[in-house]
Amino acid sequence: RFNYRSTHHLTTNGFYEFLNWFDERAWYPLGRIVGGTVYPGLMVTAGLIHYVLNLLHITVHIRDVCVFLAPVFSGLTSISTFLLTRELWNQGAGLLAACFIAIVPGYISRSVAGSFDNEGIAIFALQFTYYLWVKSVKTGSVFWTIGCCLSYFYMVSAWGGYVFIINLIPLHVFVLLLMQRYSRRVYIAQTAYSTFYIVGLVLSMQIPFVGFQPIRTSEHMAAAGVFALLQAYAFLQYLKDRLTKQEFQTLFFLGVSLAAGAVFLTVIYLTYTAFIVRWAVSFYSFSWDRYAKIHIPIIASVSEHQPTTWVSFFFDLHILVCTFPAGLWFCIKNINDERVFVALYAISAVYFAGVMVRLMLTLTPVVCMLSAVAFSNVFEHYLGDDLKRESPPAEDSSDEDDKRSAGNLYDKAGKVRKHVSEQEKAEEGLGPNIKSIVTMLMLMLLMMFAVHCTWVTSNAYSSPSVVLASYNHDGTRNILDDFREAYYWLRQNTDEHARVMSWWDYGYQIAGMANRTTLVDNNTWNNSHIALVGKAMSSNESAAYGIMQSLDVDYVLIIFGGVIGYSGDDINKFLWMVRIAEGEHPKDIRESDYFTPQGEFRVDKAGSPTLLNCLMYKMSYYRFGEMQLDFRTPPGFDRTRNAEIGNKDIKFKHLEEAFTSEHWLVRIYKVKKMENREPLDHKPRVTNIFPKQKYLSKKIAKRKRGYIKNKLVLKKGKKLNKKAVQ
Amino acid sequence: IMQRPALGWSVPGFLLLVAGLCGAEAPDASLVNEEVKRTVDLSSHLAKITAEILLANQGASPAHSFVVALEPELAGHLAFVGVTVKGEEEEDSALELQETTVRGQSGRFFRAQLPSALAGGARLRVAVETVFTHVLRPFPTRITQAERQLVVFEGSHYLYSPYATRAQSTRVRLASKTVESYTKLGSPSRSEEVIEYGPFRDVAPYSQDAMKIHYENNSPFLTISSLTRTIEVSHWGNIAVEETVDLRHTGATLRGPFSRYDYQRQSDSGVSSIKSFKTILPAAAQDVYYRDEIGNISTSHLLVLEDSVEMEIRPRFPLFGGWKTHYIIGYNLPSYEYLYTLGDQYALKMRLVDHVFDDQVMDSLTLKIILPEGARNIHVDTPYPIDRIPDQLHYTYLDTFGRPVVVATKTNLVEQHIQDMVVHYTFNKILMLQEPLLVVGAFYILFFTVIVYVRLDFSITKDPAAEVRMKVASITEQVLTLVNRRLGLYRHFDEAVNKYKQSRDSGALNSGRKTLEAEHRALTNEIASLQARLKAEGSDLADK
Repeated sequence: RFNYRSTHHLTTNGFYEFLNWFDERAWYPLGRIVGGTVYPGLMVTAGLIHYVLNLLHITVHIRDVCVFLAPVFSGLTSISTFLLTRELWNQGAGLLAACFIAIVPGYISRSVAGSFDNEGIAIFALQFTYYLWVKSVKTGSVFWTIGCCLSYFYMVSAWGGYVFIINLIPLHVFVLLLMQRYSRRVYIAQTAYSTFYIVGLVLSMQIPFVGFQPIRTSEHMAAAGVFALLQAYAFLQYLKDRLTKQEFQTLFFLGVSLAAGAVFLTVIYLTYTAFIVRWAVSFYSFSWDRYAKIHIPIIASVSEHQPTTWVSFFFDLHILVCTFPAGLWFCIKNINDERVFVALYAISAVYFAGVMVRLMLTLTPVVCMLSAVAFSNVFEHYLGDDLKRESPPAEDSSDEDDKRSAGNLYDKAGKVRKHVSEQEKAEEGLGPNIKSIVTMLMLMLLMMFAVHCTWVTSNAYSSPSVVLASYNHDGTRNILDDFREAYYWLRQNTDEHARVMSWWDYGYQIAGMANRTTLVDNNTWNNSHIALVGKAMSSNESAAYGIMQSLDVDYVLIIFGGVIGYSGDDINKFLWMVRIAEGEHPKDIRESDYFTPQGEFRVDKAGSPTLLNCLMYKMSYYRFGEMQLDFRTPPGFDRTRNAEIGNKDIKFKHLEEAFTSEHWLVRIYKVKKMENREPLDHKPRVTNIFPKQKYLSKKIAKRKRGYIKNKLVLKKGKKLNKKAVQ
Repeated sequence: IMQRPALGWSVPGFLLLVAGLCGAEAPDASLVNEEVKRTVDLSSHLAKITAEILLANQGASPAHSFVVALEPELAGHLAFVGVTVKGEEEEDSALELQETTVRGQSGRFFRAQLPSALAGGARLRVAVETVFTHVLRPFPTRITQAERQLVVFEGSHYLYSPYATRAQSTRVRLASKTVESYTKLGSPSRSEEVIEYGPFRDVAPYSQDAMKIHYENNSPFLTISSLTRTIEVSHWGNIAVEETVDLRHTGATLRGPFSRYDYQRQSDSGVSSIKSFKTILPAAAQDVYYRDEIGNISTSHLLVLEDSVEMEIRPRFPLFGGWKTHYIIGYNLPSYEYLYTLGDQYALKMRLVDHVFDDQVMDSLTLKIILPEGARNIHVDTPYPIDRIPDQLHYTYLDTFGRPVVVATKTNLVEQHIQDMVVHYTFNKILMLQEPLLVVGAFYILFFTVIVYVRLDFSITKDPAAEVRMKVASITEQVLTLVNRRLGLYRHFDEAVNKYKQSRDSGALNSGRKTLEAEHRALTNEIASLQARLKAEGSDLADK
């Protein structure tokens, strides 16, 4: 993986070298400035751990550090979830939340050993930042706020999802303001947010990749706006003390309308002068999904960017998805400052998770927390019947926590609680039978949840993505290690500087495992380059050869699943290549050409001739037409698409098969050099005929009357002109 | 140390001096090869030439040694040479060899010391075994996948010898029946895979006659281009061996495409390619792993036999001509089988190089022996000369001053080099305790720091409320203990009353009651005073 490669680079070459690293192995011939286009948090973390361990003479290879980083950080996530939930509700809920996040598949998918990904450490940073934020809102102490800023800095350095924090926290402050909760905590929230905003802003700008984005892009404008609003509000509060009511009201309206107008105009002005890069291309800016879908097919082509289905909600969260609205309701019912926060967190995360599968990850922690709240509340009602009389209800204890840790004066005013009597009312009239039944049901649900998590984890998330496994009839496992076979072949048996063209999904894998230069990779920053590769794949061979020549391609690597029935192969992704290519080269590539007149995408005889002759098709099915996989099927039967291929007689002019893995999963073609181009179909011109009359330059001929054949011409300062002799 | 060569009488004195200095010599003219049977085995990718020589001393003086010569064309490819004496008691004894030179002749020469002098007129049967690598030249050098691999061997029909030969014959064993061409000196007979030359009579010393055989050889032309063997000795009972192997198919290189279809469907496609081979590991090998830079290689099988562990190694992809691969194989061995000790003296007896595949060719070997930290006086005994590189230091878990690493290299090794070496060193057993103590010390420091940290107050500001709270807690604790003691008193009193009920001894009861009452009063007072303090602190707390 790329992350591993860059971490390796970091550990071997040092931090500053890493920041300046120009990776010429990727995006040939453009190269990639890695230091400035990457969130360094992950690599720096791994590198730091490696450094410390080696300082202690615990010689762990950087690879092992990378592999075990995700599990270690998921442990930390669990702890920070516990802390956060404890702040929100009580200790029991915190414990439950920690348990949930420890096993919930939505998070395990990112935290299995070996998934060396930004998200793994980012969720920890996210939770911890929220914890510190809640803590700092509660206490108003600058200490916690600075802690929050540092944690936020870490988050910024680790993942693009930091935008989520920088929008959620201002939103929280804003909502507090609207709910009139601000007034009694004026000083706290003021210090907390102002400190957070300023320090967080400065820190986040230290990350090279983020740079000046926080003051330029629209994603960060909400934070700035809230900051300004807060200052204005505080100023008004200050004035309110000084002025009479009448004066204040006029001033207030005047000020508000003026301020609103000014802000509005500034934003418009800045947008038009393009100072704010509106809709900056980033995957993680959350609000523009529709725009991206329509205009940039490459983003839509990633399965992780698809809208989430209900199935995947259930698959990743199971029972929690049902219980978390209950937890949300509990929170809203017994609202206080930090619960406002978690409610906002929950609502926004649900929206984003609905937009993209990938953002399920940000939803998972909050779902765990709220479900834990729900469960712990239910258990407190139905389980702790005898203890109820003695111990105060959950609400009380948490608020006492509040009071103690804050040691504050401000809370007293808000300590009027109406719901205590309601709670007591609700508790009456519950028979022991109902209690035990409900408890049993809850425990059953939790057990089912645990079973589901184990099942999902063992089945869906623990198998490595490069090794496929199939099971025989007798239960023995068959390992299909084709990817590594082919990558290793590339690594060992091609020139060190060979350039490999493949679809971008495999870019990082080729760079990491095969250690060869790639044209495009998973960091899809240059759409037109990808489109060029897509164009080469989807045009016919001679056109593709021209493109490949101009890109200096030595090898072409494709994934073909027709032999073993692997559905994630390049033919199934092919339409995306066509679409992306069409986006950049609408004259040469048209998506409709690849469909049958009926509008179907078929690889058999009925398929469109453009498809049957394009490079990708030919490379995938080269010599496949001769292959009979089964006695029941005709030769050339594609198991993935369940069709007999339409073009069985495939010949290459400019390419030759270089390697095909054991199960045909990976096929590598070598692009022939120009010298080996096709022989001329006409008789070559004869050039070695000895001319009847030797041509001589006129300058020489003028001076000489005649010449003697085979006479060596001596010239001063020059070697004998042997050519004249021969 | 070179032994001075025994020189003939014809060499002038000054030449003797010069020759002696540069080690050149003239072989004993009185020795004659009576009968030579030569076997040239070309069935693998090695050329194994064995010559059985009946050596006769026709002179008067006894001969103490004789010279084995190798023709200059092949000498550069020599991997192994060994001379054995065919004893009457059916026991072959290997002779000691020393490299030498012969004036006026090219090639390589080895002087073999005879165990007992060969008297005049006596005869001796010796066998000279030589192994040459990279002498089978693929021709054509590039073949397609469907073609078969043809190789050329160029050697000599005669035994290259410093002595005159009375009669000799050469038998060439090939890898297959298909022979393109072969030199036909003395109308050799050919049957199946064997070509027989000779017998040739009365061949002069140093005579050569070019033999050239062009034949099909599809045996695996597998070469280990470099092998790094790391042996890590732990005195806790384990020896870890790891071999990093670079393999290359040195046969005819693949021309044109590699078609998996043909390879899978046609049995004769890619016959010279290598799918898998067997590596034999020591019988005690455990925890065998087989991997490369990108992870575990899932295509291998391990077979535990009685006297060895056999591992079928399949590289990730079939190796065609010119292709290479790289892998790491490692295993653990129990040290009691290889490590011998006497007091502080240790001796590690292990194979210098181990089996990788049959008929292996190793172009270069790097041997690293990592000894435990603190090993001194390292001395290595090898069965054949090997180049030592200055020792290195290796740092791994819990090392402080590094483990000594013995590094040695050698080029061009074959199967015959699989022999034992012995590494002697001294090691103080106390040092074994160093690492556990280090861990214990680290944890001790950690816990101690935590203890100190918890007990000290590092806060900059004073928190009076917390202080009072702690005070109150301590007072409460005191009160609790006092109350407990008072409860104990009550119990005592009860017991006393019970005793009184039984014994009716009012005096004892009274005295007991008095003391108890006094104690009770004292305790009650104390509790009261504490309660007063508590109240005061409580009001403090309320204030703050």
